[in-house]
Amino acid sequence: MGKKRKHSETESAAPPKKDDSAPERPKRTLLGWKDKTQDAEEPKPAPEFRNKEKVLVTCSRRISFRYRHLMLNIVSLLPHCKKDSKVEAKSSKGATLNELVELKGSSSCLFFECRKHKDLYMWMVKSPSGPSVKFLVNAVHTMEELKLTGNHLKGSRPLLTFSSNFDKDVHWKLLKEMLTQVFGIPKEHRKSKPYHDHVFAFSIVDDHIWFRNYQISVPHNEADKVARGGLDKMTLVEVGPRFCLNPIKIFGGSFGGPTLYENPFYVSPNQIRALEKRNKAGKFAKKIKAKTRKKMHEISNPLEPDEFADMWKDDE
Amino acid sequence: MKMSFEDDFVEDDEMNMIDEDVASDSEAESLSDSDSENEITEKLAEPTKTAVYNRDGLLDKLQDISWPEDVDWTHKLTIEQGQAVDVNDDLAREMAFYTQALEGTRQAFEKLQEMGLPFLRPADYYAEMVKSDTHMEKVKSKLLYEKKQMEEAEERRKARDNKKMAKEVQSQKMKERAKQKKDEIESVKKWRKQRQQRGAGELDLEFGNGKSFQRGGGKKRPGVSPGDRSGGKGKPTSRMNNKKREFRDSKFGHGGRKGLSKQNTAETTNDFKGGFRGGKAGGNKRQKR
Repeated sequence: MGKKRKHSETESAAPPKKDDSAPERPKRTLLGWKDKTQDAEEPKPAPEFRNKEKVLVTCSRRISFRYRHLMLNIVSLLPHCKKDSKVEAKSSKGATLNELVELKGSSSCLFFECRKHKDLYMWMVKSPSGPSVKFLVNAVHTMEELKLTGNHLKGSRPLLTFSSNFDKDVHWKLLKEMLTQVFGIPKEHRKSKPYHDHVFAFSIVDDHIWFRNYQISVPHNEADKVARGGLDKMTLVEVGPRFCLNPIKIFGGSFGGPTLYENPFYVSPNQIRALEKRNKAGKFAKKIKAKTRKKMHEISNPLEPDEFADMWKDDE
Repeated sequence: MKMSFEDDFVEDDEMNMIDEDVASDSEAESLSDSDSENEITEKLAEPTKTAVYNRDGLLDKLQDISWPEDVDWTHKLTIEQGQAVDVNDDLAREMAFYTQALEGTRQAFEKLQEMGLPFLRPADYYAEMVKSDTHMEKVKSKLLYEKKQMEEAEERRKARDNKKMAKEVQSQKMKERAKQKKDEIESVKKWRKQRQQRGAGELDLEFGNGKSFQRGGGKKRPGVSPGDRSGGKGKPTSRMNNKKREFRDSKFGHGGRKGLSKQNTAETTNDFKGGFRGGKAGGNKRQKR
């Protein structure tokens, strides 16, 4: 898997070396092997679609503990991911990361970048030519928090629930598709476990994507049979982690390329901090101004002499 | 496909990263808007005018990366749900997420049942879980601790309430007793008066039952003297030492004699080898009782 493929190879319908006796060699595309017959007009039996998604998860250097734990949590949630070592910060990130992704043979990448030890940015990228999204991550709660009490099988396939406003706009639809592909475990993955005992919930509230992971707990006896009332007794226990994504930009290429979407409401955390500082900085100047104003006011409106001012002066 | 990336990667100024001509005035405008409002918003008051929104490009990309339409739902497992919710109300927001997930799971479950696929984990399926056992132990102990705290608080509150009640009841009883005592004394006085009036020879049967003269109205209790502070359940011998106790208390004050525990007495000055070594139980010293 170390051989670099030229883009032309993947995109052209390369003339497959085929034997008429054996099944046609399927066309290689981004995601896996698609039977050539799918393009044909005649209705042939549905082809084998195999989800060969592989995610590469890395982070930048100088990432803080909380975000590192978040990354590790995500690694444990996705068995189809590969964790890689830290990436040098200042080098030309796009090229390095693209190379890394191709080297590992993954089809997408989650890159956690921590700036100033405070802000976490997450890149979700589809390789090699897919779109990439940069998010600002907020409100991080990792799985280690004792208030998140649920637990589930490691590697069991999650159910993905999206809130209905994902279909309202194009960029949300794109994000939904990307989230499905990255966070959904391929069906017959080696490390996946058979049952569905947890749910991911992605919701859009206030233009942020909120992520929650719940464990499904239903009192039941066997695998399939749940009593009639059982469904009503289903409860969800939160497993974690929890985070909130604020999309900043969507690019056409991986880790770069033309900007397809820019979030008009996004304010970078640096600007927020700068604003706060500016507000505070004005305090002293305002105080001085207020003092001079008071003096001027007093001078212009002198008080009437007080009758009782000398009342106590004579008493010693 | 051009793989160019903007300089943004090195600086943190997101807003400048646009292909088109940037009027950075619009940025400053929106910033000054929020400035003049004098509030710090996580979101700009109005969208920047330079925001890019390339709908067609997005759609193209979507087509590119989508899985083919006829992919079995089992590959995707996505469900749609949703209601509107306010972001700042934490509880409502979490409830909304919860209901979204719950409804989604119900739908998924029905679908899976139709397809006849296994859904839930049987009780005897043991495999590696996402959180380790030690971690779950910690979680459990924390939950137990919290529960215990709550229970203790409840108990304390109940005890306080009970005490209050008991005090009230007690005061009531005392009042009753006092009243009864008064009544009895009154009745005796009356009887005496009547007796005087009628003459000495008559047997008077208006006494009422003799029992009423017993203190406490005839309740049978093991004799409790007023100076006894053992609550009425103490053993009799503990009261016999009362005299000794009283003597000692009067001489040394409560708590006994102090300060003489390490002094020699006449017998012990010449006592080199005998007796209990290092023990105060040897009786050579006046014991602090």
